[in-house]
Amino acid sequence: MNDIASGLFQVPWSEYRPDLLDALWRTVSYTAVSFVGAVLLGLAVALLRLSKAWPARAVAAVYTEVFKNVPLLAIIFLTYFGLASAGLRLDVFTAGCLSLVVFYAAYLSEIFRSAISGVHAGQTEAGEALGLGRTGIFSHIVLPQALRQALPGTNTMLVDLLKSTSLLVTVSAAELMSEGRLITSATFRALEVYLVISAIYFALCYPLSQLLLLLERKVRAGVPLSPWRRRRMRAARVLLASDLVVDADRKEATV
Amino acid sequence: MTEPVTTTKTTAPVTPEAVVRIDGLSKSFDGRLVLDDVRLEVGRGRIVSVIGQSGGGKTTLMRCVNLLERPDKGTVEVAGEVVHEGGRTVCRDLARLRRTVGMVFQRFHLFPHLTAVENVVLAQRKAGIPEQEALERAVALLRRVKVAHRALAHPDQLSGGEQQRVAIARALALKPEVLLFDEPTSSLDPEATREVLSVMRELAADGMTMLLVTHELPFAREVADHVVFVDGGRIVEEGRPEDVLDSPAQARTREFLASYGTAS
Repeated sequence: MNDIASGLFQVPWSEYRPDLLDALWRTVSYTAVSFVGAVLLGLAVALLRLSKAWPARAVAAVYTEVFKNVPLLAIIFLTYFGLASAGLRLDVFTAGCLSLVVFYAAYLSEIFRSAISGVHAGQTEAGEALGLGRTGIFSHIVLPQALRQALPGTNTMLVDLLKSTSLLVTVSAAELMSEGRLITSATFRALEVYLVISAIYFALCYPLSQLLLLLERKVRAGVPLSPWRRRRMRAARVLLASDLVVDADRKEATV
Repeated sequence: MTEPVTTTKTTAPVTPEAVVRIDGLSKSFDGRLVLDDVRLEVGRGRIVSVIGQSGGGKTTLMRCVNLLERPDKGTVEVAGEVVHEGGRTVCRDLARLRRTVGMVFQRFHLFPHLTAVENVVLAQRKAGIPEQEALERAVALLRRVKVAHRALAHPDQLSGGEQQRVAIARALALKPEVLLFDEPTSSLDPEATREVLSVMRELAADGMTMLLVTHELPFAREVADHVVFVDGGRIVEEGRPEDVLDSPAQARTREFLASYGTAS
């Protein structure tokens, strides 16, 4: 047993630690930047698909279908090599993020669209009846409910996106997978290196997905997450605890 | 309780100060006439109850008051201001109109992502009321409708009766001049119906102006000053509750009441 282990692990990992940490940071950066971009673009596309104007809907539908039906690797090659050959040379980080953004925005837009249209029409009406404007209704009533609905699908996409950054090895993006390839070419220990790289991906993705599950559960249970909501709930608790003000309140509440 | 004013059976009561005044109102959906030349007035402090079969145009009539539905023809006047005339919205501030008119829906439509108290706070904050004041008012209103003990619960944790009472508190939060009730007890069981009606009874006693679409004819008889029977998009008959409900003049009204088993 010991023989197998000592036979398996022969790469001087401590020497590679700084490089690996750097690669890990890059993987996280690609994930974070691309995910934020994909969420914003996905939301914009979802809103276009829900628009009353048919040209807007058509543009959004074409976008979604194109990027859902082209492999991510092809998109990466197109943005990095393709655009460069046409005179638009993007650095690898920009090209990598751009590819991930346009690809995942297509999926996220579908998730957001169904979540937004899933919010009951009565909700908008109740908002209108309370004198809220279009933006107030969207930001305070529709969007929070849609986000709650979209959370599970969005979380799956985030973990998927993190794993997909490994495809950027094909353009030498200096993230984890690229670093693994470098170490392999220096040590010729492919099994050992890629096992370690896989373990690092797992160590990133598993806690992340567990954390997101926890978040989903909290949001579903209605736990206030933002500081201002927590402050409001605390203030409400204080008011509810004070029985002394009941009489004054009753008088004030009389319309 | 306000003394019911004497009215004849064919004309709406003429009060000097009408909070809602609708005249010559017509509305069609896809070429189907839902409301046809309707005239209705709700004086300050009065309670007008609209009765009639489902699909008869009652709800549409009510929704025309706060312009959730835009009439094709006629005039809608709220709190002395003409808000819709001749198929055009002339109200300059729709948000203000809707704060003047509170609305309670059949299916509550509470915001499920917010607690009961936050449901009552939201519109107040958007209307520019300071946080602490909005919160105090929300708690006071929840006490008034007797759901303060559930103030921190989410709608899905509340019973139907509790949800509807929170919805009433939410509608009251902006100090509306008139409250619209669209079949407020139609999706409730008898116990919850009693709870909600008791809150509405208190509001009535406090002098709240109300326009109420209901199937609860005994309740309409008890609290309403004026009952309007709408059928096929037209006002068939109106007058004091005891007149319309106990000795209706029109055959169509008698037929409707008989189908409810309440005609005496």
